[in-house]
Amino acid sequence: MPPVDRRRIRGPDESHSPYHFVTEESMKCLASGDRRVDVSQRGPLDLRPIFARCGLISQAKGSAYIEAGNSKIICSVYGPRETERKDETDMKSGRLVTDMRFAPFACRKRGAWVQGNEEKDLSQGLLESLRPGVCLHKYPRSQIDVCVMVLESDGPALSHAVTCASLALADAGIEMYDLVLGCTVRHTGTTQLLDPTFAEVQDDQSGASVDSQGTVTLSLMPNMNQVSGLQSDGVMEQESIKAAVQACIEGCFKLYPAIQHTILKTVRKKAPPPES
Amino acid sequence: MDVNEHEVSPATREFGCEQNLLSRPDGSATFIQGNTNVLAGVYGPAEVKVSKEIYDRATLEVLIQPKIGLPGVRERAREQCVRETCEAALLSSLHPRSSLSLILQEVHDDGSLLACCLNAACMALMDAGLPMSCLFCGITCVISTEGQIITDPTLQQEKESRAQMTFAIDSIEKRVMMSSTKGSISVQELQEAIALSQRASERIFQFYRDSVHRRYSKIQ
Amino acid sequence: MILFNSFRTADPLEYHKSFLKENCRPDGRELDEFRTTTLNIGPISTAEGSALVKIGNTAVMCGIKAELTVPPSDTPNKGYIVPNVDMPPLCTSKVRSGPPEEQAQAASQFIADVIESSEIIRKEDLCIQKEKLCWVLYCDIMCLDYDGNLLDTCIVALLAALKNTQLPKVTINKDTDVPEVDLLQKSPININKHPIGSSFAVFDNTIIIVDPTGDEESLATAVMTLVTDEEGRLCALHKPGGTALSGEKLQHCIGRAATRHREIMKLVDKIIESMKK
Repeated sequence: MPPVDRRRIRGPDESHSPYHFVTEESMKCLASGDRRVDVSQRGPLDLRPIFARCGLISQAKGSAYIEAGNSKIICSVYGPRETERKDETDMKSGRLVTDMRFAPFACRKRGAWVQGNEEKDLSQGLLESLRPGVCLHKYPRSQIDVCVMVLESDGPALSHAVTCASLALADAGIEMYDLVLGCTVRHTGTTQLLDPTFAEVQDDQSGASVDSQGTVTLSLMPNMNQVSGLQSDGVMEQESIKAAVQACIEGCFKLYPAIQHTILKTVRKKAPPPES
Repeated sequence: MDVNEHEVSPATREFGCEQNLLSRPDGSATFIQGNTNVLAGVYGPAEVKVSKEIYDRATLEVLIQPKIGLPGVRERAREQCVRETCEAALLSSLHPRSSLSLILQEVHDDGSLLACCLNAACMALMDAGLPMSCLFCGITCVISTEGQIITDPTLQQEKESRAQMTFAIDSIEKRVMMSSTKGSISVQELQEAIALSQRASERIFQFYRDSVHRRYSKIQ
Repeated sequence: MILFNSFRTADPLEYHKSFLKENCRPDGRELDEFRTTTLNIGPISTAEGSALVKIGNTAVMCGIKAELTVPPSDTPNKGYIVPNVDMPPLCTSKVRSGPPEEQAQAASQFIADVIESSEIIRKEDLCIQKEKLCWVLYCDIMCLDYDGNLLDTCIVALLAALKNTQLPKVTINKDTDVPEVDLLQKSPININKHPIGSSFAVFDNTIIIVDPTGDEESLATAVMTLVTDEEGRLCALHKPGGTALSGEKLQHCIGRAATRHREIMKLVDKIIESMKK
């Protein structure tokens, strides 16, 4: 039994998600969730339309919000500020701290308030993807905090979190070598789906067993054309991984103009060009 | 132990109080209202953690320990009420960059617990000799299902009530410093309850005076 | 401009008081003026009900998740409502990651008390079968941007999210004794009362301002939150300490809270009406 959380109001000891008891007929309505049915509308290698904005959180040094389909992610950046851990040996370069969380209502099943292992892994993944892009040597003895909150999760969240966090870092005016963009490919058998939704990932997990299936998440610095993070889960053949990585890189380049546009808009708003 | 027994309207239970009963804290007191009993200890002014240091006044920490189990969210909310009331009464700017801690141990709860916590806190702060701009007292009122307002209720009366209010009243102008309510109350009921609490507060302050007087008259 | 900003940093209290003396506030508001309140109902599709509320810069999101459980043994005909307020490190630089701090915990308790006092929902309505099955509504309230007046924002977010909540129909299969959930038939829950909060900040019992910002809250000598329902009854008078307040001032605040209740109800109704179209 997990220790009792005394800092929150507790409900009953046990409760079950209504989705465990869904009747067959209504299961169909649930099953017809967000998927690529019509290739003419959204092909397997098309991203979901993305909405990105900077500077929504007044208290933060920089912030960003990204909406891709139903996925909604908000991120704020605080710092550079005095580092909390003074015992760190390396004081010459700054410390990047990431904290990624899911809101309790972000997934179909209610999540806990306490940060779980999955969230800790994602935080670490986020940190490792972002770190190569940030000029940390410019911030000695200080700490930059990146807080990501997934408000609604529809499909793998890490790639959007990376994009969102790098936008927020840029909004905070933190010096960076390049933006970091994230992209995910879901590979099943012979098909590859870029930027998959929850229903699409769910499908092949419950569907017939396929020899090779997996998810590849990649972070790319588009100007330098360098990969800063790569994460692959599942079983895939070498060729499929290669193809998935290629698809991710292409996906990032598709995403780039939209993100550039957002940054441009933010800069224009903060420092309007002189009227001539 | 001092016990005050005269009966004036509005009705309250018997009060009892003993100060300076613990040797380790810098100030301590126990306060009894009927069967409700709270023990308070004050430490400070002492050195403060750098992270909690406030440059122009003392940092006050309040801890409420329930009779059984560990403190939860409800205790945290009560701690906030007691702390902010004490902060308003204490002249904490006289002790900048230092820490004051107040620990309240629930000994027995038979209704009006928050009020009793406030009373014990005030007596303990007095015993610690900390400078204050005013004294304060806590008083709980409940509205029974018949619409009658009862001051200083027992646990049974609290359970049978439809609304409950706890106020902290200051000793100078008898104004409301803290208020915490439960249940739906009409504006008129609120005003009546405040007026009753203000009258009841006079008795509590008189009791404060008597017990302090009695304590020091023994010393000579 | 630079001089002005350094005055604000060097002596924030004097800075605010110099405005209050002239009966206005640093952000240009009158003393009894609320910041612009905006409402977005139902932004989260994974929740049974949700709302994003902004009062000025302060933004709060409330998501309602419903789960099935056994009713409490002492009240077998009632369901559960479990509210929790969290201020993650995302919302302000003052909070560090970790468990919720005192302010968030006190806010959770306050919201729980308001739900209890106002009877916003009849808990009997959440019971599906006596002693067997009931709903538990987890009302998770998350602050996304903290610039004062958390409690008011939380109450509006909670109310709007509950109004948006749709629960699927549940029947208990007589043969197997297992609940069956029909997602095709969803119905809203009955909102019994509409509590709305109004927060005030007091400067030395002389000046009272409504809807304090984060700066104003930290400089004020006391803060107070009044919650009223549509019948003008008080569901909460929450003043966690601070300097004392006289009866006349309190009366003035109660009057303002009643007007605020009407303003917010109009706003909520307007948004819900526009969603139907």
